[in-house]
Amino acid sequence: MIEIKNLCKSFDNGELTVLNGITETIEKGEKVVIIGPSGSGKSTFLRCINLMGRPTSGEIFINGTDILSASEKEVNLLRQRVGMVFQHFNLFPHLTIRENITLAPVKLKLMTKEEADKRAGELLIKVGLSDKADSYPAQLSGGQKQRIAIARALAMNPEVILFDEPTSALDPEMVGEVLQLMKELADDGMTMIVVTHEMGFAKEVASRVMFMADGVIVEQAPPEEFFRNPKSDRLKEFLSKVL
Amino acid sequence: MEFLTEFKDKLYETFIVDNRWKELTNGLKTTLLITFLAVLMGMVLGFLVAIIRSTHDKTGKLKFLNVISKVYLTVIRGTPVVVQLLVFYFVIFATVDINKILVAVIAFGLNSGAYVAEIVRSGIMSIDNGQFEAGASLGLSYPKIMMYIILPQAFKNVLPSLANECIVLLKETSVAGYIAIQDLTKGGDIIRSATYEAFLPLIAVALIYLVMVMILTSLVTKLERRLGKNDRN
Repeated sequence: MIEIKNLCKSFDNGELTVLNGITETIEKGEKVVIIGPSGSGKSTFLRCINLMGRPTSGEIFINGTDILSASEKEVNLLRQRVGMVFQHFNLFPHLTIRENITLAPVKLKLMTKEEADKRAGELLIKVGLSDKADSYPAQLSGGQKQRIAIARALAMNPEVILFDEPTSALDPEMVGEVLQLMKELADDGMTMIVVTHEMGFAKEVASRVMFMADGVIVEQAPPEEFFRNPKSDRLKEFLSKVL
Repeated sequence: MEFLTEFKDKLYETFIVDNRWKELTNGLKTTLLITFLAVLMGMVLGFLVAIIRSTHDKTGKLKFLNVISKVYLTVIRGTPVVVQLLVFYFVIFATVDINKILVAVIAFGLNSGAYVAEIVRSGIMSIDNGQFEAGASLGLSYPKIMMYIILPQAFKNVLPSLANECIVLLKETSVAGYIAIQDLTKGGDIIRSATYEAFLPLIAVALIYLVMVMILTSLVTKLERRLGKNDRN
């Protein structure tokens, strides 16, 4: 479904290399969790997949389409199929929760206002926040905001959702509710790529865990093996610090 | 008592004789007309220029329009409004048979547009980049993100500054007399030269400006309060 070939990204005219040749394939239904020390390039990698950041070189194919040579219009169409959940939620503060969810489907003419409102109602039930439809983001807690951000991504019926450290900006007691919702999505069969520091989530939900450091994927394996039997010294050292 | 009678006489002399109050009411109408049309023009122009400038800053597109916008901003903000008004009247439209009020609207509108543009641009740039990204991640195009996500928030943030710009413009139109437009200020001046009495007509003019500014200010405060409803915590 997603095929990445020799992806590189550097900043400041090549002085700072963040991604150093990543080649990877992600199949439909996979739940890939990416972990690694900060500065390892995991968020940058994730953001290249929907072109939130443009790679310096390499190729990305989504369902066979080469997105780096796609027109702007094609990229926008592609992004409709690839949802994203951000560390800082990025809800639209001037819109109600319902409008946050319905804005894109309605403005992109994928649904009528009525259909979108109905869908928003269903999604709000799914994320357990039906009573907040007419509230504004500022009236919600961090965990609630992130659940709404997930509902907003789901409203586009994406084929895959990218999670960019979805719980890193949350108070500890709110992490659980967001992870629980993500786990439910995983159980529903959603394809997910998750950058996170939550090792428990990786163990429980991932179909594959990737360890990134210094702009490359150092090691990857199914979670049991990944955590029980790390091969590289870099990963052993990392796990000894975080577990 | 003698002072009061004298004051009454002066009031009568200044405003009632020869229907002189009409200089003020007609002048006020002209001032309001010029201000209203110039504000409209300035807002439209300012938003366009702001969108061009910030689109260029964010995406690198619209290079040519951006250069034109920059020249426009530099020239307008680098020269006094009175000079601009005179240039429009005596140079650019010198040979064209055109209504003076229209010339004033164009001059003040172009002038205000430059200031509005910078206000709105600062508003657009102050919106967190995450808002752009959230819109883009949903597949919205740049114009749609601008229209439905960025501009509504930017507009709210810069509303006080925009209102202030309207107030400034209302007062700046007082130089319209330079091209012999009989606006409010000129009206007061006409009374002054007819009665040789400066105090009453000029104070009256000042009061009228003041009242209008106060009304505008209170309207903006109301609007801000309404727009601020989603900031409640």
